Amino acid sequence: MIRMAITRINVGPIHPSTHGVARLVVDVDGDTIVNVEPHVGFLHRGVEKLTETRMYMQAPPYMEKLDYFAPMAYNDAYVAAVEAAMDIQPSEKAKYVRTILLELQRLASHLVSIGTLCNDLGQMFTGFMWAFKDRDIILDLLQEATGSRMFYVNMRLGGLHSELPADFEEHAITTMNYIEKRIGEYESYIEKNTVFMERMKGVGVLSSEDAKALGVTGPVLRASGINYDVRKNSPYYAYSKLYFNPKVMLQGDNFSRYKVRMMEMRESARLVKAAIKAMPDGAATGMPVKLRSPNAVNKVSVVSREVPRGECMMYLVADPQKPYRLSIRSPSMVNLAAISHIAKGARFADLFSIFGTLDVVLGCVDR
Amino acid sequence: MKAERDSLPATVGKMATEGYDYLVKITAVDYVDHIDVLYVVRDIAASKDQILEVALAPQDLWVPTIMSIHPSADWYERELSEMFGIRIDGRSAPRLFLEKWDGVDPPLRKSFKWDVPYRTKETESK
Repeated sequence: MIRMAITRINVGPIHPSTHGVARLVVDVDGDTIVNVEPHVGFLHRGVEKLTETRMYMQAPPYMEKLDYFAPMAYNDAYVAAVEAAMDIQPSEKAKYVRTILLELQRLASHLVSIGTLCNDLGQMFTGFMWAFKDRDIILDLLQEATGSRMFYVNMRLGGLHSELPADFEEHAITTMNYIEKRIGEYESYIEKNTVFMERMKGVGVLSSEDAKALGVTGPVLRASGINYDVRKNSPYYAYSKLYFNPKVMLQGDNFSRYKVRMMEMRESARLVKAAIKAMPDGAATGMPVKLRSPNAVNKVSVVSREVPRGECMMYLVADPQKPYRLSIRSPSMVNLAAISHIAKGARFADLFSIFGTLDVVLGCVDR
Repeated sequence: MKAERDSLPATVGKMATEGYDYLVKITAVDYVDHIDVLYVVRDIAASKDQILEVALAPQDLWVPTIMSIHPSADWYERELSEMFGIRIDGRSAPRLFLEKWDGVDPPLRKSFKWDVPYRTKETESK
């Protein structure tokens, strides 16, 4: 066998398959990846430091820009940390409404992940167009509920900015029935494609031991056989009252990561319908923005939320006027760090299928 | 839970054998008179978290690396070093992670000055 010299290839920072601004320095021996070194920081805005200069409810717009595919989820994690610092409990109705909106956000985010993955793997463009069309229908629902399609800033201390409109529940149930039907169509279309399956099954394997050691989270962790989901293990809002099972696969390959997201979408649609049926009466609106502040100095609150990309932990040290320190655990960051390990030994062309199944958002990595 | 800096790798290693083998996060808080470095570790099977706090004096900022126990500490330690100016003992100078800062104080320290002029090609040449 002729051994070739190691060649260094730069991927990005502007590259369609990195889904953002990331640079991967890849060493290859022929077609085999020897080493991958991710370079991040191109989108660093200093969000954690900026938060220290703002009043509590001036920070949510920064939180929403962490992950532009699931902004509400990060806003919710931050508001929950502030609520914990101020000993505020959302109303029962608000807990259900938040659960519904966060699951809709998960659906919208996973649809982007699946759609762009189809594009990355040469399934142009049916999967991508289907996913974005269906995501638009979810965004219609979120627009009805919040007035916005992209950045919502609808979380308030103790609840939300506004009540759900009168016909939202009926519209949401009809949409969820449609989405459940569509997920079956996605699976039968995508999983019958030989090219897609060849590049997914048995490629980019991450064992459960390595997944734990590398600290990966969310669907990437569950696809490697580790059953941990914050919604189940430390339930919040309505998750403790709704029947729900985390989706787990054992193989840890690209296909498992894709399949876990598919199963989670089906579960999200089911959860939305169940939460609507069980939603109690009452008010969901929270407090006016400026009214409250914690009455202690350096009060620590630690809150974890299962956002679409994994666990987002907010470590907040609260002062009476402003956050003294906010530390954000970015799920995309830990998942991206694992690519050096996962891609080693894979073919160069598979780098993009691996990257796609990690579902990284660079705004969240860089903060 | 308070931890001693010198025995940190031993403490983290012992906890890992007791089930706390998943590193959630490493971060720090600058309280001006001291800096707390925080290690959040998890026992996944029991759904329990522990936070280890290592207090550092501002004039003696270093912690030992825990990468041999938790490989996932890599990026967190690089961030700690860059954002707080904390030296990670046992690792060579970490590669640039998020940003290059030329000011006196690292960005997440309370002594960080916001009014440091932004560097441009023009100001550099003066």
